[in-house]
Amino acid sequence: MKHESIHKDLIFYLDNELPEEKRTAIENHLEGCADCRSFLVFIKEEMQIIEKEKNPEASPYFFARLYARLDERPEFMPQGLWIRLAQPAFFSMLLIAGIYGGLRLGSNASSGIINQEPASTIQLMNDFEAEPIESFLLDEL
Amino acid sequence: MDESELIKGIQQGDRKAFRLLVETYQRMVVNTCFGIVHSMADAEDLAQDVFLEIFRTAGNFRGDSKISTWLYRIATNRSLNFVRNKKRKGFFQSLEETFTGGKNRNSEISENRSDQPDHNITDSQRKDLLHRAIDQLPEKQRIAFTLNKYEDLPYQQIAEIMEISLASVESLIHRAKKNLQEQLLDCYKKKCV
Repeated sequence: MKHESIHKDLIFYLDNELPEEKRTAIENHLEGCADCRSFLVFIKEEMQIIEKEKNPEASPYFFARLYARLDERPEFMPQGLWIRLAQPAFFSMLLIAGIYGGLRLGSNASSGIINQEPASTIQLMNDFEAEPIESFLLDEL
Repeated sequence: MDESELIKGIQQGDRKAFRLLVETYQRMVVNTCFGIVHSMADAEDLAQDVFLEIFRTAGNFRGDSKISTWLYRIATNRSLNFVRNKKRKGFFQSLEETFTGGKNRNSEISENRSDQPDHNITDSQRKDLLHRAIDQLPEKQRIAFTLNKYEDLPYQQIAEIMEISLASVESLIHRAKKNLQEQLLDCYKKKCV
């Protein structure tokens, strides 16, 4: 068997979820393959963490804190719900207003550009023609 | 006191009945939340939220399923919501760090980890790796896997809690294990711990 196919089945091997034939094939391979054995140990140790950490001890103050929260006024809940609904509605409206404003601004600006004469560009080009650099240098001399 | 009496008591605001419910199911609820959020403090806070929800909405309990099934559903939903919110906050925090020039904590941790030799793998590093691998699982796989591994629940009960078929639970847990193994193998090859 190839190492890759062994690696793919090791988690099921650990949980005894493989058919007998495959299980035996894996065991035979593991006997002669140090790398696969090492990965088996690695994965076994990782899965054992679940066994170690499950059923943690709860804090002795669990009841006290729970009862304190139980006595809090639940009237805050509807307000929280209102805020939860109002907030996305407000931001959606803000977004729509922003997009609309942007479109309006964009259309105004583009129409302004179309109507505007490209006078400044022509002016610049004419400047160069009217006052060539050669004549400027000659004047200096 | 059987389940229906217990629920009736809680519906009437009987604190003794509520305390009995908490005492009976506290470990179960905390453990379920812990399997998803991986922090004892957060798991306890979430477990308290679960019991508060039970106390305030006991009137809605129709008695079609067992109390434990109801509790498992609320506990898993609340824990998943908590993880989603935490991810969202983490995303904005990392954005903030990018703009403020702060160092990413996760990359810092992995940098430290790669410097250490194999034999120095500590329990906390192993835990961290496993938790990260579980967190990478799709939500349904994560719930099925957590209920099976942390709570030792049989597939049939998981199917009832998740309101899916037995075959779906088998498939979810099979895929969860496969995905976990792939991530662990990837880490093993890269010597990330």
